[in-house]
Amino acid sequence: MASSDALPGPHRRRPLSPHLSIYRPTMTMAMSIAHRISGAALYVGVLLLAWFLIAASADATTFAVFSDFIGSFIGQIVLFLVSWALFHHLVGGIRHLVWDAGYGLDAPLRDQLAWATLIGGFALTVLVWIVGYAVW
Amino acid sequence: MADHPSDLRTPVSRVRFLGSARMGTTDAWVVHLTSLALAPLTLGFVWLMLDLLHKDYNGVRAELERPIPAILLLAFLLAGVVHMEFGMRSIIVDYIGGQPRAWALAANTCFAALLALACVYATLRVAFT
Repeated sequence: MASSDALPGPHRRRPLSPHLSIYRPTMTMAMSIAHRISGAALYVGVLLLAWFLIAASADATTFAVFSDFIGSFIGQIVLFLVSWALFHHLVGGIRHLVWDAGYGLDAPLRDQLAWATLIGGFALTVLVWIVGYAVW
Repeated sequence: MADHPSDLRTPVSRVRFLGSARMGTTDAWVVHLTSLALAPLTLGFVWLMLDLLHKDYNGVRAELERPIPAILLLAFLLAGVVHMEFGMRSIIVDYIGGQPRAWALAANTCFAALLALACVYATLRVAFT
């Protein structure tokens, strides 16, 4: 049987990403992957928000189950990771908007922006947790 | 141009489905528009969550009964779910092909729709009861 690459029309095999075997790793590539992973994590993490809202719309007993989980050690770890994903994706999204507007694509700046995403996202997360724990 | 005079296929049949589907612009627009909306909405959402942090059941409900937190939350939820649905759609079409792709796309849309309905219902129930 002939390779499907040679077939015409809809049966032709289309290229699929990622091209990890084609391009060597760069910081912008790492942050591109991190953007996708953080986005996928938020896809699942939003269930925490749904649980919170549904519990709040029910009664005090149901809310206490959520409250106990989110206050537990495991709950705090999960919430920290979800909040990190949120801030990383937020900062990374702003970087993508800047790039899509045509700015910051040159050699030194694009890597600096990629590093700024990693550092900025984590710094914002830690800052908000410090505010939540110590200041609020 | 037929390479072979005996080739019965028309030239158009050989080039069909080889180009873009011309459906990408709407997706890109929706993702960009929702991301632009979500940047300030996320900051507002984080502020709201910090505000609810040390509140009990009654305190949380009292806060979410107020119009501005409730509207902020609804805007964040709707923009977020649309953004999330389009984001997962691009992940699916990147990694999954053929028949499983159709199922994955359908599951993605159903999950996002159910999630949005559940969250909006719960928020409105808190606000109006």
